[in-house]
Amino acid sequence: MISVAEILEETKGKDGRRILKVDKDNFLQLMEELKEQGFDHLSLITAVDWRDRIELVYHLHNMENDNYVVVKSDTLNNVFPSVVHLWTSADWEEREQWDMMGVWFDGHANLRRLFLPESWTGHPLRKNYDLSKVQYINMDDEGNDYATFDPGDGW
Amino acid sequence: MKTGDMGVITTTIEKALEWGRSNSLWPLTFGLACCAIEMMATQASNLDISRFGSEIFRNSPRQSDLMIVSGTVTKKMAPRVRRLYDEMPYPKYAIAMGVCVIQGGPYNQGYSVVLGVDKVIPVDVYVPGCPPTPEALTYGIVTLQKKIRGETDR
Repeated sequence: MISVAEILEETKGKDGRRILKVDKDNFLQLMEELKEQGFDHLSLITAVDWRDRIELVYHLHNMENDNYVVVKSDTLNNVFPSVVHLWTSADWEEREQWDMMGVWFDGHANLRRLFLPESWTGHPLRKNYDLSKVQYINMDDEGNDYATFDPGDGW
Repeated sequence: MKTGDMGVITTTIEKALEWGRSNSLWPLTFGLACCAIEMMATQASNLDISRFGSEIFRNSPRQSDLMIVSGTVTKKMAPRVRRLYDEMPYPKYAIAMGVCVIQGGPYNQGYSVVLGVDKVIPVDVYVPGCPPTPEALTYGIVTLQKKIRGETDR
């Protein structure tokens, strides 16, 4: 069992779920212990841009007794430890967060963009994403997408 | 009618072609989002657009004359829309169905949506609504038929 000191804050959400707030350094240890406690399903990873930091939110589910727990943690340098070795479903979830929020997951073997083409500039769900610079997606002869700032032939 | 009692119809070849084209508009089976549900209702038995000659939704762009762009066109989808439109044989027409297709709609401020499909393909008739009712789409198709025949629609 993890010591109480390592959890910075424990609250309860509106739906009664436990919300654990941890430091980035203790995050992996907590996740490993939660997995041992029976949280065998990672239901989602999401992220919040607070401008000065990015908060990552993990929803874990225990299939045996239908119990949920929410783990929150912050990153200041947009790098975060990966949990793919604990839950395989984290693979695409982390790729989505990399795509949309620009959080780099350390230890992820195949961290590519999930939705947008690799040549897309910026991460669209960031607060500082510049919407005035319109990007276009075009398709080459092989059917692969690429992003451009110039509309090009396809448009 | 007895033979010899049918009278005479005179027309030009152009007019006959326009009449034929306008009354056999075969749409492409092409639904992108929620507007496609209304498009299906337009085609189904209650509001049946085969009454107006849009007999069946063809599954191949090579066999269709009309592209009903029904639903939000994302930037990722835009090259595909263009390719399908290019695969259709002439004469071809396009209807922009719903406000997303006309100018982006509720996604106007977003990063991922094409602000109007007329940036990608030429559009003949715009049918506004979110989503437009099947009656509105039927009206749009009838308007397109009038446009093909060169009649004014007021």
